[in-house]
Amino acid sequence: MLATNLKILSVVLGTILFYTYLAGSIPQVESEVPAELDLSANVTAEELVAAGEELYAGGGGCLACHGTGTRAPNLLEPDGATGLIGERCGQRVEGMVCKEYLHASLIRPTDFVVPGFDPIMPDMSRTLSESQVWTLVAYLESLGGEVTVSSEDLAASAADPAGGATAGSAAPASTTMEPMALLEENQCLVCHQLGDQGAPIGPPFTDVGARRDVDFIRSKVLDPASVQPAEGYEALAGTMPTTFGTQLSAAQLEVIVQFLAEQR
Amino acid sequence: MTFRRIGRGSLRLLLATLFVAPFLTDVLLAQEAVGAVREYGDFPVIGARGAVWIAAQVHLLFAAFVLGVPMFAIGAEAIGIFKKDTRYDRLAKEFTRLLVIAYSATAIWGAVLVFFLTTLYPAFWGHLASIFEVSMWFYVGLFFFESFTLYLYYYGWDRWKLGRAKLGHWGLGILLNIWGTAVMLIANSWLSYMMSPPAEMTPDTAPEMVQFWSAFANATWMPINIHRIIANVVFGGAIVAAYAAYRFLLAKSDEERAHYDWMGYVGNLIAIGALIVLPFAGYYLGREIYEYNQQMGITMMGGFMSWLWIIQAVLIGVLFLAGNYYLWVGMGRIPGAERFTPYIKYMLVVLVIGVIVWATPHTMIADRDELAAMGGTHHPFLGALGVMSAKNTAVNLMILTTFLSFLLYRRANLRPTIAWARSGTIVQGLLFAMAAAVVLFFGIYGYFVTAIVRIGFSVYQVLAVLTAIVGVVVLDVFMARGAESRGEIRWGQMPARSQYALFVLVVTFTWLMGLMGFARSGIRQHWHVWEVMRDTSPWAATPALGPAAQMISVCVLIFLVLIAFIFWLGGLIEKPQLVVRLRPDDPRVGERDPAVHGSELDFLPAD
Ligand code: HEC
Ligand code: HEC
Ligand code: HEM
Repeated sequence: MLATNLKILSVVLGTILFYTYLAGSIPQVESEVPAELDLSANVTAEELVAAGEELYAGGGGCLACHGTGTRAPNLLEPDGATGLIGERCGQRVEGMVCKEYLHASLIRPTDFVVPGFDPIMPDMSRTLSESQVWTLVAYLESLGGEVTVSSEDLAASAADPAGGATAGSAAPASTTMEPMALLEENQCLVCHQLGDQGAPIGPPFTDVGARRDVDFIRSKVLDPASVQPAEGYEALAGTMPTTFGTQLSAAQLEVIVQFLAEQR
Repeated sequence: MTFRRIGRGSLRLLLATLFVAPFLTDVLLAQEAVGAVREYGDFPVIGARGAVWIAAQVHLLFAAFVLGVPMFAIGAEAIGIFKKDTRYDRLAKEFTRLLVIAYSATAIWGAVLVFFLTTLYPAFWGHLASIFEVSMWFYVGLFFFESFTLYLYYYGWDRWKLGRAKLGHWGLGILLNIWGTAVMLIANSWLSYMMSPPAEMTPDTAPEMVQFWSAFANATWMPINIHRIIANVVFGGAIVAAYAAYRFLLAKSDEERAHYDWMGYVGNLIAIGALIVLPFAGYYLGREIYEYNQQMGITMMGGFMSWLWIIQAVLIGVLFLAGNYYLWVGMGRIPGAERFTPYIKYMLVVLVIGVIVWATPHTMIADRDELAAMGGTHHPFLGALGVMSAKNTAVNLMILTTFLSFLLYRRANLRPTIAWARSGTIVQGLLFAMAAAVVLFFGIYGYFVTAIVRIGFSVYQVLAVLTAIVGVVVLDVFMARGAESRGEIRWGQMPARSQYALFVLVVTFTWLMGLMGFARSGIRQHWHVWEVMRDTSPWAATPALGPAAQMISVCVLIFLVLIAFIFWLGGLIEKPQLVVRLRPDDPRVGERDPAVHGSELDFLPAD
């Protein structure tokens, strides 16, 4: 009786210990909290780069995608002929210098989507503060390029309330009522084609009015999941941002809806 | 320390209100400020997070127990009623007795959890409460109904024993399950909300502005409900089996051994049967998480948690192996099973290969040096085996194999008498072969298509396996009609080593629940509510697997010790003897008598 009890006990404890040991013997990765930065007004480039590197490898969570090289462009290694990220950043978008491009990549990631990748890069302003974003830019610049981020960029974004923590998801405080301008401002053309503009990720706008009525389009823009995805795009349901409802004014929304309904 | 600060703060407030009444608005502001200071409490030694972690996990394990076991009980009671097999009825009752005690343990740990949350995470708790308050009242109300239904169910067992009353009693059991499930659905909404709050919420959204239903029926609520209900059935079965194993090992008579051997078999059957469907529910849950938020999905599968899935695969591999091992050993007590023994080694090979493939890491996060050392992000060998295609294929083949084990077990002592027995067996074999072929085909083809297409393939694989399972079972039911027996199953003639497999099963499953609980709350990382409410406490960083595993082990140990205690208590109430030996000519031989409270007596002839 005692022997049996002891045997059972050792099987139970042995099993538990085995799992505890197993879990302790694999690589230990902790998910850190992105460190809030306390950068003085005359912060040096080295300090920025160091802070950025730490964020990149730790609390920023970038490695989840960029560490693999298949899910997202590898930022630590040369990307084919275009070179390291610090070199290629200046050539990605016409008229955008490296610093602007990298900054935009982080807070408006769908503005320019690197060919061959899905638009899954999260808007970092949702989780990181503006100064944290700038340290990342500095770090990425340092990989093969020259660091141009300075304390002025940090100061400028601190002074500019729109550059705060919710910049990316908040409305571009625009009052335009011009349909094309609205489509562009709200990045619809990053995923939709109209005429020869835009990219073919979502269904084209060219004949959307023939397929969908006003109510449908309005629902789609306000809450994409509330209505059926177009035929052939079921797998992409959920890709379209859900933030337009808060981003557009009611009048702007109507302009877009009417405009699209007329595209037959 | 925090308490003292509050104390002094309120004293100052009091003085302020008395003497500086004209500046009342300032005072109100000050009060708000004081309130804001206290976002977190502190707990000695293990810290606030440790305290809440243990309370939540142990509560959850008990909750799963009191949800899983009643499902088991009404199933067993129904078999007892409709197949007129009183063994099952007794089994159901034996477990309901344990339930009564386990139920109060659940409530106690629930209370501990709520008090810990209100004192250690007051701001977060306030947020949850302001969104979910009404559902919290319902929760308490349901708990009340559930308790009383349970009392009626248990204490009414012998009173409503026959005819229509028995059916009414069974109805009580169903009601008990309905309350229990409703309680779980409500609690699931709170924790799934933390993971997937309505997409339009931001850190600035006032909780009062959140529509209750959009928070309640959030994106991951239903998948978690389904995954959990199934997991709880497995858990219930595994615990029943372990209890039986314990009683079996300590049994003094052959009758007792036979009874508990059979009980262990039923428990294992239910556990493994439900385990087979769990991966499907798991992939559905995983898909919904991706769908809700790509980044969360990637953090879960490829980010800092990627290694967790390796451990998960090892644990699930152990579950499959232990369950199958038990069945294989059990064939020794079935006359006629010898003819299947040669196949066992092949099934073992398939299972082991399956576990290895499944437990192969895919993309792990690695820094530059590690990458270089590994020869690129896609290790030539690890990479290929680790991708989804291979894993899905492995899991599906493991499921098929386990199902085959069951089938052989079932078939072991039967000799079908119907004319088409041979062709029936051939058709069954073909169904197996076809399912395996479909699984393998899409598994390999999956390497040549894009991710989106590949995800669709897993559906075909699952459908093929399910079709085969359903088809084979239907055929089998007809083939078993009128089949001759090759000899009675020799219940009780089971080597002791098989029983230890049942212990491994229950410990592994409990640990797995702890691990997955960590996975669920870990993917939120430093958020109480994903991208809505930040965790600013000193414990905001999510620990690595090693320390987490230690916490999980502590929780599992606490739970197992308490369950052992409950089983022991259950044994105290019970009449120690199940069987009364009589002279063979005694008129009562072969009868069964509801003797004393809690047990029944079988009157059997002395040998
Ligand atoms: C959910 C996955 C994911 C996460 C997490 C993520 N990224 Fe990305 N990132 C992508 C993808 C996919 C692309 C390519 C498509 C695009 O341009 O949007 C990309 C593109 C970029 C680019 C442009 C690269 C080029 O070659 O032009 C930069 C810079 C970048 N990410 C930086 C970061 C940083 C810094 C972080 C961490 C704070 C991060 N990303 C986190 C997925 C991710
Ligand atoms: C990140 C990519 C993306 C952006 C940005 C985007 N969409 Fe979409 N949209 C999609 C995808 C993918 C679908 C198809 C799947 C679905 O219906 O959800 C879609 C579907 C639609 C449809 C339905 C078309 C049909 O035939 O059913 C409309 C209308 C639409 N989008 C309008 C807009 C407008 C207006 C904007 C800008 C305010 C916008 N979209 C921005 C990806 C996007
Ligand atoms: C054979 C396959 C699987 C088994 C045996 C299994 C088992 C379990 C168990 C026992 C639990 C705890 C349930 C509870 O606490 O009530 C759980 C929860 C969970 N599982 Fe699985 N699982 C499987 C597959 C998956 C897959 C494929 C995923 C995702 C990709 C997944 C994601 C989760 C998550 C996120 C939880 C936490 C939810 C919760 O706390 O209840 N599982 N799983």
